Amino acid sequence: MSTSTNPLAHLFEGADDVVAEIERRGAAGADHPADAREEITPYHPKVLDLTVAEVVEETVTTKTFRVRRTDGRPLPPFLAGQYISLHVRVGDVLTSRAFSISSSPAALDHYDLTVRRLRGGRVSNHLIDTVKPGDRLTSGGPIGTFYHDPLFHGDDVVFLAGGSGVAPAMSMIRDIVDHGLSRRMTLLYGSRRADDIIFHDELDAVAREHRDITVHHVISDPGPDWTGEVGPLDAALISRLAGPLAGRMTYLCGPPGKYAYLVRQLESLGHPRRRIRLEANSVALPPPADPRWPAELDPEEQVTVTVRGRGSLRVPRGRPLLDALEDNGLRPEASCRSGECALCRVRVCSGEVFHAEEARLRASDRQFGFAHCCVAYPLTDLEIDF
Amino acid sequence: MSVDYDVIVIGAGNAGLSAAATLQRGGKRTLLVERHNVPGGAATSFVRGRFEFEVSLHQLGGMGGPGPLREILDEMDVTRRLRLIQDDELYRTVVPGVLDVTLPADWQGAVDVLDSHYPGNRAALTRFLEIVRDVGLWQLTARANLHRLKEQVEWLSGLSDVRRYGLRTYREVLDEFFTDERLKFVLSSYWSYNGQLPSRMSFMDMARLLALFIETKPYQIVGGSQALSSAMLESFLEAGGEVRFNTSVEKIVTRGGRAVGVRVDGGETVSCRLVVSNAPSSTTYTRLLDPADVPSGVLRDLGSRRMGPSATALYLGLDAPAAELGFATATNFLTTDLDERTVARGMRSLEPAPFLLASCYDVRPTGFAPPGASQVNLVTIQYADPWEAVPVRDYQQAKSAYAASLLDLLKAIAPGVRDVIEEAEIATPLTFKRYLSQPGGAIYGFDQDAMDSWLFHEDDLKPNVPGLVLVSNWVTAGGYNSTIVTAARLCRRLLAVL
Ligand SMILES: Cc1cc2nc3c(=O)[nH]c(=O)nc-3n(C[C@H](O)[C@H](O)[C@H](O)COP(=O)(O)OP(=O)(O)OC[C@H]3O[C@@H](n4cnc5c(N)ncnc54)[C@H](O)[C@@H]3O)c2cc1C
Ligand code: FES
Repeated sequence: MSTSTNPLAHLFEGADDVVAEIERRGAAGADHPADAREEITPYHPKVLDLTVAEVVEETVTTKTFRVRRTDGRPLPPFLAGQYISLHVRVGDVLTSRAFSISSSPAALDHYDLTVRRLRGGRVSNHLIDTVKPGDRLTSGGPIGTFYHDPLFHGDDVVFLAGGSGVAPAMSMIRDIVDHGLSRRMTLLYGSRRADDIIFHDELDAVAREHRDITVHHVISDPGPDWTGEVGPLDAALISRLAGPLAGRMTYLCGPPGKYAYLVRQLESLGHPRRRIRLEANSVALPPPADPRWPAELDPEEQVTVTVRGRGSLRVPRGRPLLDALEDNGLRPEASCRSGECALCRVRVCSGEVFHAEEARLRASDRQFGFAHCCVAYPLTDLEIDF
Repeated sequence: MSVDYDVIVIGAGNAGLSAAATLQRGGKRTLLVERHNVPGGAATSFVRGRFEFEVSLHQLGGMGGPGPLREILDEMDVTRRLRLIQDDELYRTVVPGVLDVTLPADWQGAVDVLDSHYPGNRAALTRFLEIVRDVGLWQLTARANLHRLKEQVEWLSGLSDVRRYGLRTYREVLDEFFTDERLKFVLSSYWSYNGQLPSRMSFMDMARLLALFIETKPYQIVGGSQALSSAMLESFLEAGGEVRFNTSVEKIVTRGGRAVGVRVDGGETVSCRLVVSNAPSSTTYTRLLDPADVPSGVLRDLGSRRMGPSATALYLGLDAPAAELGFATATNFLTTDLDERTVARGMRSLEPAPFLLASCYDVRPTGFAPPGASQVNLVTIQYADPWEAVPVRDYQQAKSAYAASLLDLLKAIAPGVRDVIEEAEIATPLTFKRYLSQPGGAIYGFDQDAMDSWLFHEDDLKPNVPGLVLVSNWVTAGGYNSTIVTAARLCRRLLAVL
């Protein structure tokens, strides 16, 4: 018997047959697959090297950046509604932001990212003001759970979008049209003024040409020429425009402050919470606005955050840890920046953090001290590790 | 010669954590390096909406009474950090229109239930389960005492049933005792915990599984397997161990044929006296090491082994209580028909799933679903090849179609599930490849037939390359009990010689 056989084996009936079979297999020699990591890259590349091909001015406040893979290869497939995390340098700081892909999953020679100016927003303004065709960018691969799942979403859906929240809706509509899907979609799209409506012409054209696509614009600040619907988008208006909701999956994407209100409106119409899906695209209530924030702790006051093996920084309590780390040149992995994807997970070795409502932590994370640093705020001096 | 650490452990899966905690607590300065940002490997969970999802743990064996895992986790100071829930039943097995049997986790109880469903088999059942118990307990005990070989040889020499039946296939032994295919089928339910169908799995391995779960009872963990892996990490850190997450080992550094450290991504080299690899055997010997440093016998042995199966899983968050949906048992095996070949075909194709294991974590809630809701995992055993053959562009569609077939099969025990889905996530062998870095997405290491038995692969646990040992389900049986216990025992022995 071979040297690797335990002496106990000899005592078993049939041991010789087993050894013979092992030897036969050894002689035939199986080749084991290559490294699992390499094999998976076409599906889930870690980094995409992108070049801006075109910049389209959608409205006064919004531009669409069409990006292609710098090496000309097709981009990885994605599901309409997913996003990529764009890595950007603003001044000295390297940071990232998530942008839903607004283009069609049928065309993989480009992704469109539709960016609206956010008042005071560092990255949106930077992109709109400085990025031009030919510029190079990098990003993570497509990611996110805000997409139509045929398993249980059904083929009659409603989408409530606000502002740039129309980006994933546009991708879903293009998906339906380009792939000839048998799915009905009703979009209720809220904008402040008529000239803020992104994709206005295309949406209206698609709605005219495709029976299954319905688009209603809802304006909150109508000018004298506006003849369409006027907000607020409340239960009554949703019900009048979308019709009965029973059984229809309802997607929400827009300014984070609106979600709680819209969910209440939908629920007041008898729509169950499980048929409502939100794209968590930022934090609704940063401290100290969150009522759970400990009143005695001043969010402006600084605490010391020590990163194992990489030094210490002084950080105001009210600043998300991820941003504070990036300000200081440290870059934990991150993608959604809204508490959901867990890529920014860090271990809290000592001290206490406050998590925004949006943090999708696991039960054991609280017990064993893991934090999602994009939505975690240092309440006390901290030591973290990542 | 000064080194950075006594030991470097590559990978924080069940086996890596167990090794690291054992060595650090034994006084060795240990660095644990993990590619992901979290400990556990397969022993982890993720969140969607209001639900947390268990990735891999269906039933934890080895925890009841003086179970092997219990002993190791006590010793590792981990048990006190966990809250465990004992399952009421062993499992429920259903073939729609053919059989529906729920077995208790009790030898006599199992005889009673099976005899009531299939009368006339009491004597054969009693004798059969006695052999199962003897063979199973022998294997569990023998593995713990291999260093006392002489004693073991003497003991085994007297166990004629163990010697006679141990290496035969489970199917052969069933055929010797029973004629009713339904009865044999119910007794074969745990095949998926090993990944080999009854006609390929050794009697010894099925006996080990049955004895483990009946003797030491099946358990769930509050907070799921992530609570267990985080608890092992905590014990390791409290003992002074160091961990680096988000760090991948690119190479094991050798000098004069001896492992002396690792090179991590970014190029840094860290030195040590001993490297413990929780990465798969083939990865460790042919990628992390230069094969020139690996004895040819080891490479030949790798060539004789076959890539084990992976799994396809549908994780479901359901907006209804478990009982209302039809889940009275945590562990449910569902198969379309009694013919093993049907399932064998399903493991290599994307035809509608012929088999699934439905685990409901809210028969006794583990805290993963909000009140009034429940979390259910549907898992089937599959090899990676049918999924690898799907063009990248069609992958999503293939996933959805396959998941729909799992839901169709589930209707037999829980017809209302489709109407109350709140969250659903699908993992295929490609997903397991991605998150676990396991070739073929293998969830139990190599194909575990008789040829894979530890009886014929002593070298698996030896330092074939000086300064390096392997711990993982590639060098011991798959599963929580086996990987954690084997790694801890191996490292205890190493403490004596390090
Ligand atoms: C869907 C599914 C269901 C299962 N069901 C059960 C069950 O019910 N009961 C049961 O007992 N078992 C079950 N298992 C099997 C069980 O989870 C495994 O056998 C066990 O967890 C394997 O542990 P491991 O330590 O060998 O491997 P892994 O858990 O895969 O750990 C390996 C670790 O090493 C890391 N790593 C690899 N290479 C490197 C590198 N170069 N550098 C740094 N890090 C690296 C990986 O990231 C990973 O964390 C299941 C598994 C799956 C996936
Ligand atoms: S970046 Fe996604 S959770 Fe923090």
